Amino acid sequence: MLSFIAQRLGMMILVLAGLITVTFLMTQVLPGDPARAAAGRNATVEQVDAARERLGLDQPVHEQYVSYVSRVAQGDLGTSVFTQRPVIEDIAQVLPSSVELVLAAMLINVAVALPLGVVSAYRRGKGADLSARLVALLGAAVPVFWLGLILQAFLSARWGLFPLTGHLGFGSSVPTVTGMTTVDALLAGDPSTFGEAISHLVLPAITLAAAYIAVVTRTLRSTMIGALDADYITLARATGASEWRVVISHGLRNALVPTSTILGMQLGWMLGSTVLVESIFGRVGVGAYSVTAVLQNDLYAVIGAVLVIGVVFILANFVVDLLQLWLNPRLRKGKRRERAGADESAAEASDLAGERT
Amino acid sequence: MSTTTPVPTRSAGLRNLLTRKGGNKQGHTTFVDRAALGVAGLMVLLALVGPYLAPMDPYAVDLAKSLTPPGSEHWMGTDANGRDILSRVLAGGRTTILATVAVIAVATVIGTLIGTAAALGGRIVDEILMRICDVGLSLPAIVVALGLAAAMGPSLQSAVIALAATWWPGYARLVRTLVRETRDAEFVESARVLGVSRTRLVLRHVLPNSLSALYVQTTLDVSAVMLVISGLSFVGVGAQVPASEWGAMIAASRDTAITAWWTVLFPGLAIALTAIAFNLVGDWLRVRTDPTLRTGGR
Repeated sequence: MLSFIAQRLGMMILVLAGLITVTFLMTQVLPGDPARAAAGRNATVEQVDAARERLGLDQPVHEQYVSYVSRVAQGDLGTSVFTQRPVIEDIAQVLPSSVELVLAAMLINVAVALPLGVVSAYRRGKGADLSARLVALLGAAVPVFWLGLILQAFLSARWGLFPLTGHLGFGSSVPTVTGMTTVDALLAGDPSTFGEAISHLVLPAITLAAAYIAVVTRTLRSTMIGALDADYITLARATGASEWRVVISHGLRNALVPTSTILGMQLGWMLGSTVLVESIFGRVGVGAYSVTAVLQNDLYAVIGAVLVIGVVFILANFVVDLLQLWLNPRLRKGKRRERAGADESAAEASDLAGERT
Repeated sequence: MSTTTPVPTRSAGLRNLLTRKGGNKQGHTTFVDRAALGVAGLMVLLALVGPYLAPMDPYAVDLAKSLTPPGSEHWMGTDANGRDILSRVLAGGRTTILATVAVIAVATVIGTLIGTAAALGGRIVDEILMRICDVGLSLPAIVVALGLAAAMGPSLQSAVIALAATWWPGYARLVRTLVRETRDAEFVESARVLGVSRTRLVLRHVLPNSLSALYVQTTLDVSAVMLVISGLSFVGVGAQVPASEWGAMIAASRDTAITAWWTVLFPGLAIALTAIAFNLVGDWLRVRTDPTLRTGGR
């Protein structure tokens, strides 16, 4: 068990190093003068020279790399040309809102995909199964940003079921405590504002969840079919257990192990996908921040957002790996052969997980 | 990457794959499969001749006809600049599909080189290359591609290069597995004994017999890559306005989406239809190449 944790920890550090190297490469391929990019378009010659010195751009590449790593390690991601504030502060301010959106999307994902996957595996080839497969097929093919615009055009603009954009209605506000509007409204003890925040959250969360629902449904269906065909299911039925108990306690419990890996990894992927969703719905968040930064040619802000999303993604994957210890007792035993098998199933789960978007 | 790694029990080359008898699940090629093959074929055709099919000039601005709803003159309506959306969808297919193919082609070449090197290059090479792949697979593709493309300067070329640079590790891992299997096959051993040179052994014997599962995977990836590349265009680091690329068309019309739904509906449907078709074709190919998937109805 300890060696499992050590191995995953080592992998996490390696991936972090890879991420930092990739973002360093981004700073290197900047077209034109990186010092000018860092100082901003209207900077004076002195400001550009100061930026060059501060960033160590007059030094050889390997020294630049070392100083880049140490700056990142201290949380210095550069200064946004547009907001004139440290990128890390900008992102820290908007990140909670993205986390709120991701958690809401995950809630919808689980609430839809779990029943759908179980029912479609249980009633293989029947109507429910076909509709589940249709959901999986559509979810994997519909562009997220297009789904968002279409939902907005019809559900909000045409039928007025949901608000168009933003976090709260015009004129409403809550004191910022956590940065998550729903939580802040609860903390302020304001149920009507809380309802408003939820209704603003629904469409973005559905949009973000759609593609992931498809993946979870497909995975759960296939692992659930495997579980329901297993001998222990026949045994459970033979003992006279109710059908519900057989399917849920025996079938789903075992099928959930690979599915939970995927759900965990999806938390990180969803944070990446906020790039496509938040700006459509006028939400503040790290995704919208990076899109704005791209449009304003604010490259240190873009790279900072990439780095932060990457780090959260990596940490989430690490936590998921640790959760596997708790969910899958086979991992806890020290026997080498079994551990190798478990690694394979983890790799298989990540292959099953489908789109890396 | 998507779904389980398909590992054929018997190796088969591309020609073998396309001509082999057999079909889906219970051994049939269903109506849905044929329809998907048809649509996928149409989309490939569209990429070749789409711009010539367009009934009007996809770039002709006519502000008097701005935001005309779908009707007899403009079947899919017009956008804010009065450009015919049907013509733009037909012409835009080329850009979107060719960009997708380019990403997959570049990623496949890199992946095959790295994967083959890892499988045949000895333990240390293998270890180093596979850890690099693990790192690549552990980063969110769309975000890394966004950063790379933004850094290289937003353009369709940047988006293609950036996405290919984040997409190859999956192929490398797959090719490594496939080549390792073929490497130990008897016919390879026989060729080696006959004195075939190492390069020739890899190029003529090992690779052609390893890669059918890779072709399947690339087909399945068409939809995922197309979604990401059009997403990058939507965000602004891919194809630039006024290009008639499907993602960029949706991006350009996002402000009119609320009042004129047709401006975003049709380019999005084109993406979705193509993605569905290629997913179905990929599944069909996968079942054909992997007999173990044919029973059990998974």
